[in-house]
Amino acid sequence: MAIPRTTAAQSRAARPPVTGPARLLPALSLKRRTTLEAYAFLAPFLAVYAVFLIWPFMKGVWISLHEWNLLAVAFDPSAKTLLGLDNYRRMLFGEDLSWVAFALWPIKGAFVAAAGYAWWRVRAGSGTRPVALWLTVLAIAAVLLLGWQPAEGGRWYDSRFWPVVGNTVLFVALTVPLTTAAALGMALALNREGRAATTMRTLFFLSQVLSVTVVTLVWQIMFSPTQGLIANVTTAMGFEPIVWLTSENLAMPAIVIASVWWSVGFPMVIFLSGLSQIPPDLYEAARIDNAGAWARFRFITWPMLRRTTVFVLVFEIVLHFQVFGQSHLITGGGPNDETQVLVRYIYQTAFRDSELGQASALAVFLFVLMLGFSALQLRLSREEG
Amino acid sequence: MSHHRSILAAPALAAALLAGGVTPAAAQTEITLGRFFGACEEAGTDIDAAVGEACIIQSIINAFDAADNGYTVETLPTDWGNYYDQIKASYAGRNPPDVHVMHRHRVPEFAGLGAIAPLTPEELAAAGIDVDDWAPNALDAVSLDGQIYGVPLDFHANLWHVNLDLMEAAGLVDDDGAPILPSSPEEMLEHAAAVQEATGKNYLAADFAQFPIGVRLVLALLWQQGSNVFSDGEATIDTPEAEAAVGAIKALFDAGYADAQLNYADSQQAFLNGEAAILVNGTWVVDFYDSEAAKEEVALDRYYAAPFPTLFDTPATWADSHMWAIPRSVKADEPETFEAALALLAWINDHNVDWARTGHMAVRESVLASEAYADLPHRSEYADTAEIARDVPPTQKYGAIQDVLNRELQAIWLTGKPVGDALADADAQVQDLL
Amino acid sequence: MGYQRRLYWIAMALLAVPAVIWLIPTVWMVSLSLQPNDLLARTTSNTALGLLPVPFTLENYARLFAHGETPRWFVNSFIVAGGMTAAVLALSATAGYAFARLRFPGKTVLFAVVVGGLMIPEQAVFIPLYTMFADWQIHNTYPALIIPRLAVPIGVILMTQFFKGIPHEIEEAALIDGASRFTIFRKIMLPLALPAVTTLAILTFLYAWNDYLWPLVSAQRQEMFTITLGLASLQSNFAQSEGLGRVMASGVVASLPVVVLFLIFQRFVVRGIVMGSGK
Repeated sequence: MAIPRTTAAQSRAARPPVTGPARLLPALSLKRRTTLEAYAFLAPFLAVYAVFLIWPFMKGVWISLHEWNLLAVAFDPSAKTLLGLDNYRRMLFGEDLSWVAFALWPIKGAFVAAAGYAWWRVRAGSGTRPVALWLTVLAIAAVLLLGWQPAEGGRWYDSRFWPVVGNTVLFVALTVPLTTAAALGMALALNREGRAATTMRTLFFLSQVLSVTVVTLVWQIMFSPTQGLIANVTTAMGFEPIVWLTSENLAMPAIVIASVWWSVGFPMVIFLSGLSQIPPDLYEAARIDNAGAWARFRFITWPMLRRTTVFVLVFEIVLHFQVFGQSHLITGGGPNDETQVLVRYIYQTAFRDSELGQASALAVFLFVLMLGFSALQLRLSREEG
Repeated sequence: MSHHRSILAAPALAAALLAGGVTPAAAQTEITLGRFFGACEEAGTDIDAAVGEACIIQSIINAFDAADNGYTVETLPTDWGNYYDQIKASYAGRNPPDVHVMHRHRVPEFAGLGAIAPLTPEELAAAGIDVDDWAPNALDAVSLDGQIYGVPLDFHANLWHVNLDLMEAAGLVDDDGAPILPSSPEEMLEHAAAVQEATGKNYLAADFAQFPIGVRLVLALLWQQGSNVFSDGEATIDTPEAEAAVGAIKALFDAGYADAQLNYADSQQAFLNGEAAILVNGTWVVDFYDSEAAKEEVALDRYYAAPFPTLFDTPATWADSHMWAIPRSVKADEPETFEAALALLAWINDHNVDWARTGHMAVRESVLASEAYADLPHRSEYADTAEIARDVPPTQKYGAIQDVLNRELQAIWLTGKPVGDALADADAQVQDLL
Repeated sequence: MGYQRRLYWIAMALLAVPAVIWLIPTVWMVSLSLQPNDLLARTTSNTALGLLPVPFTLENYARLFAHGETPRWFVNSFIVAGGMTAAVLALSATAGYAFARLRFPGKTVLFAVVVGGLMIPEQAVFIPLYTMFADWQIHNTYPALIIPRLAVPIGVILMTQFFKGIPHEIEEAALIDGASRFTIFRKIMLPLALPAVTTLAILTFLYAWNDYLWPLVSAQRQEMFTITLGLASLQSNFAQSEGLGRVMASGVVASLPVVVLFLIFQRFVVRGIVMGSGK
């Protein structure tokens, strides 16, 4: 069995002629009946949707406004205190904070440069205004929000929160480009017929279907300095085993490596489908013009894949912001919180520390953080669809 | 407790596939038991044959389950990592196990929230548990504000597990065959240098990178100076004593006599492979290391279990207790289950000496005084440990405080954070929790 | 064509290195699961860095099926994943049919509400869901493991997209013949939607089989663990009680169904991903 190359074509094939059935039949009674029928068809899903997604979501926001101990409230429903926005204040702020304009300047600079570049492209006529606007908002936010730190004698109310956000962002910032680049490279190399290509497509995708607990099980042992395969190899070559999971600098790369290994298949398939949609005659024309492989990639493949790439990037960002299992099972968030990520912090705050109110505030923060990316993803998939 | 599973729990598919697996046999009272200690699949009912925590406790439970006493036990073991998360979650779901193991340090939290039931000496006596036979510190371990909240199972403490061959090579074994352990931080460094010189191996290994074993090591050194992490709701971590305690350990890392990057499994492996002269770990592994040392293929050969040495003024080592507790809801609403749970605890209480085979210290005076107990392997080597056992003051936030200490100490060992900064940060975070 | 062939083999040769790297962790897991535990306690690199299972034993698998909870977890996973798949299909197909084929007031708004649900991540609702299920006392049951995922809108959106693509004439003819909506849905539309249904089924099954966070929170009793969750609990225990080979055998067993399913239904998995990406 094989991952087929041209799947997108199938789903594009059938476009219905737009004719409504309602117009052919007696109007009123049918209209009414159809409405009833429609709601009958929708009712089961909508009921489940309202009770198990919409309602819990609102309840989560409600819980986040309270001091809400898991056990205390379970035993006595009145044992919660309405705090208003205190949980958010504790999460986000501190006392005696000062803003250092040039702290984290490489990150700030990168944002400002990206926004500037986008506007330059708009002026040159090749960029779009919404993208430039969006990047400008991000750049302003980055300049103003980054660089806050406790002044002498000051402190964050929750000293773990921002470092944990930072770790999560770092994880995303490492995993997403690596996964995307690897997936693109594999897709380019495997976008052809042939048994070897077919087998390799299957191979690269296979790790994607494994569960996070299998992936972490394998990689935890892979990285072990005493039992790990990597250590076995380095020892056989006469080197000291590398300590990965308890090292300040290597723990995060280790879970990134495991994550890339795990999740490269999905974007690879999307890239393959994107490649299959590029009309072959474009390449034919290029070949007639004697364009080299690099020129063909630069001027045909890459522009034609732009949307696919953006989609993959946004999809991966949303996915990897939700990282939990890798951190929970491979490193336990350690050493010294270096690999602690948001979802694990939410889980711990809720189920280890029993602070459901604080944990729910964290969950709302995660929701807001991802909302922007999800909206972008939705827009993109609409445009494509 | 199976009646707690509502009608929703039995879809036809599940029933068809698992018929018979859920319904308890008639006339038997079924109790559910929650525990950690790991899984032992081949436990059986032969208590004498079992080795290691998981298998010993499971064989005790299995023997009770198999006995013709009208009770059956369903063990609901769970992994260490998420044990308390899951126990709490089961309480919040109004479906806790009928009896479960816990640490003494969790008593303030669970009792404070009204989760676990207080037990009277009369109830215990009626079930065949003699409270007067418990050692005073055992009774103390399960008590809070004058109430008894469970049945103690053991004391466990940090020991120094010693590889005598490596120590001897460095001239650190006395005429009686006991290891010579340091009596000051300076002497510890000298010993470490001697071991390094003579064998090229590390002096000391412990889990400094994962579970809070390293924290407990530092705590012991703190207590040995008469200090503590907090007292009377006031965090006292940013002190010269803490600096001295941390400094003593850090000196070992700085000089290359110990490896801060080992986690639990790796540090244990290093010790068994003969790569470290001393492993700091709990009492729970004594019988395991003893049986490993007997194996031909394991590098560790002559094994000794020494009490935690006194590097400062007062002897002290970290210690805790395992104990069994019964949910308040079971006592209040299910008298039959409650009675069955007490019968099980009486059975476990009767097998205190078997549990002590793991290396843990017994809680019953009659066991402590018995010959069988004294004859357990290595027991005489660390017999005094019970007297120097210490722990931080009772608090509902024990878990979170331990986590703060573990993170900040890891920051020192593993990420090079200055000691002063780490202690100040730990102080502030612990103060927030208190 | 010589140039093409050469290019092909250059590409394959370049990929051989990453392909081997991609394969090694899995091979190693299988190999460890076939070696004796007491050997692994001492060394994991006995033969060919441990990549070859020499000495060879099936003992880990024998123990796994003879003792312990793994078989039970396996059954649980099938019940949860199977139940979730069936329910997601039923809910998504009916709702998707209504959104795609029927005209009714409020349709646009309702569909927007459903699409908006895409923006709520699982992690934003798992705490309130936990407390709700705790209040209803249904944790540690199959419904508790199945229900939360049923509310996810992606299935409805996929089915809506697909139903929109089916020509209207067939349905109209049946309507004129006096067939009821439900008959049309069941007898005509559903069979036509079989490719989409299969795709959704496979993706749901894979998701359910591999889900970790929600079972971790909801199932506190080992008898209710799924294999994915059970494997995590073995992982944290193995240093103390289980052997490495035994844990790896559990990992292999936990992976087998999804791998086999994937190999058989690869096309549907790929199609689902492509559909999900809005193509």
